[in-house]
Amino acid sequence: MGNICIIGPRASGKTTYLAGLSYFNDYAGSRSSYKVQPLNDDACQLVEMAENTILQGSSIAPTRLGDRIHTVDDLPYYSFQIEIRKGLFKPPNILQLNVRDYPGEVFEKILQTNHEDTIYTEFIDECLMADVEGCLLLFTEWESSKDAFYSKLLSRFIAMMDERDRLKNYRLAVAMSKCERGEIWPGRLDPETDLFGVYLKKTLKTLKGKLPPQNLRFFAMSTFGVLGRYDPRPNRIDDYGSGGRASVLRDSPRWNPYNLIEPLDWLHRS
Amino acid sequence: MSIIYIGDRETGKTSLALELANPSSQNVHVLYPPYSQLKALLYRDDLGRTQSTDANLATYDRNIEVEVTLPAGSKKIHTTWIDTPGEIWRSSWQKTNPELWNTFLEAARNSEGVLLIVPPYREIIRPDDRIDLDDFVTQQQWIHRFDRWVDFFQHDCPRIKHIALCLNKADLICGVDLKQEAQQLAYHPYNARKNWMQRHDYVFKRFFQPVRSQLAQLNQRASGLAVKCFITSIQNRELLELPWIYLGTYLQHES
Ligand SMILES: Nc1nc2c(ncn2[C@@H]2O[C@H](COP(=O)(O)OP(=O)(O)OP(=O)(O)O)[C@@H](O)[C@H]2O)c(=O)[nH]1
Ligand SMILES: Nc1nc2c(ncn2[C@@H]2O[C@H](COP(=O)(O)OP(=O)(O)OP(=O)(O)O)[C@@H](O)[C@H]2O)c(=O)[nH]1
Ligand SMILES: [Mg+2]
Ligand SMILES: [Mg+2]
Repeated sequence: MGNICIIGPRASGKTTYLAGLSYFNDYAGSRSSYKVQPLNDDACQLVEMAENTILQGSSIAPTRLGDRIHTVDDLPYYSFQIEIRKGLFKPPNILQLNVRDYPGEVFEKILQTNHEDTIYTEFIDECLMADVEGCLLLFTEWESSKDAFYSKLLSRFIAMMDERDRLKNYRLAVAMSKCERGEIWPGRLDPETDLFGVYLKKTLKTLKGKLPPQNLRFFAMSTFGVLGRYDPRPNRIDDYGSGGRASVLRDSPRWNPYNLIEPLDWLHRS
Repeated sequence: MSIIYIGDRETGKTSLALELANPSSQNVHVLYPPYSQLKALLYRDDLGRTQSTDANLATYDRNIEVEVTLPAGSKKIHTTWIDTPGEIWRSSWQKTNPELWNTFLEAARNSEGVLLIVPPYREIIRPDDRIDLDDFVTQQQWIHRFDRWVDFFQHDCPRIKHIALCLNKADLICGVDLKQEAQQLAYHPYNARKNWMQRHDYVFKRFFQPVRSQLAQLNQRASGLAVKCFITSIQNRELLELPWIYLGTYLQHES
């Protein structure tokens, strides 16, 4: 039980998200508090990765097929127990998060369908396996050209859900990641309307047209967050020339991620 | 998994790798091979310098074992250090040695990280009778050379994850006091004054402004991390180690 997938295009912040989650292993923010306990070696290394890169002002490396990675089994596999508390008198939501860290390029390539018996089919099979409750989908770019691409990707993904009888019993948490960016930070309060409804209209329509409303929810989140409660400046610095695709944490003592746990909390709810 | 040194002739690729193994180490410790063994292989006592790397081979692979002290603890890394001759960047060489050039491309594409070693240009060399300015390219040539580097990384090696750009021979640069620079950029696993972004920023603003548009182009690559800028010199241990500490954070633990 409790398997959740985390997918999204390249550089959407998946690995950084997981690293942030494991670094803030005992988090008490204004909106939620939670404890994260790593359950395997890969998960422990993720904390080290956060300490050696994110906190030192550099980026986590892209996850990529290549040298060591040929099948899904070669990808890092993280296992955590997460306990989410939402108030003194409510029972905590305890979930075991087992995720494989997929390279975004695998997700982007599901559009090319001639991938028999390759990592692409393995990827889809694994994401839509019967014991997977649902999936956290991260998007980050919001240009209209991206909207068309994302929408195509999702049509394909939804078709694959249907082929595997998962259309009506699979939860999809769709998140706009890196939402500390000034242009979209105000939209975080109602991401469905103010982020997806404004920037990714086609994508929104594709999703809402096919999935039962109770299985679809929109989120805004940011692993880096903003500088402070009363200082909404993004806690990030963009790498020169990268067009905002690559950034690093600006002020590590003030690191306070936004909304990391909420999508997981929603995904795992009986 | 390997780290490859590339750069034009005489920029100091071989010297930097050799000196990394020097036992005077601080946060990067080469456990194998021993310095003496490397030195016997690469250094010419009679000339008082490194042997320039022979271009009858395109790549020279050596297994090395390195221990790097990182914030989350020290990390032992087993990797291959690939040295390359600067000669291979001449187009005449590439034309007459297409197969070797391909071997090189293959090695570069499969490397985890690249150390791109560039020399200082003539205009910033400090006045000194013992330095022959003709050995150094002009600023204009230096800038043009970066256009070709951009081309190389965009077309021939687009998937390289990490590029550490090292302005070597910093000891020869006018107004550079190695000790002071090392203090500015000092690395410490727990309480360093600057983080990687700030170090890069400092070096970038001081030394790489003339090629900022080329670096921006490199950073537009769809995958891989942004280029990080360093200054290095075989005369300063701290500066020499920095690019390796940076790359070391990304290299796999020995298993
Ligand atoms: N501004 C901002 N940047 C972020 C955030 N999270 C991650 N990033 C940056 O986004 C870039 C990509 O992050 P990754 O975690 O490698 O993304 P990924 O989805 O795992 O990418 P692939 O492994 O290539 O599929 C890096 O430069 C990160 O530092 C965030 O919350 N805000
Ligand atoms: N002053 C100074 N000289 C250096 C430095 N690094 C290397 N040198 C000198 O530069 C010359 C070339 O060094 P090598 O290491 O052989 O250069 P290389 O890049 O390997 O050259 P090729 O093998 O021909 O491509 C030697 O005389 C070195 O002593 C440095 O940091 N400062
Ligand atoms: Mg990743
Ligand atoms: Mg050499």
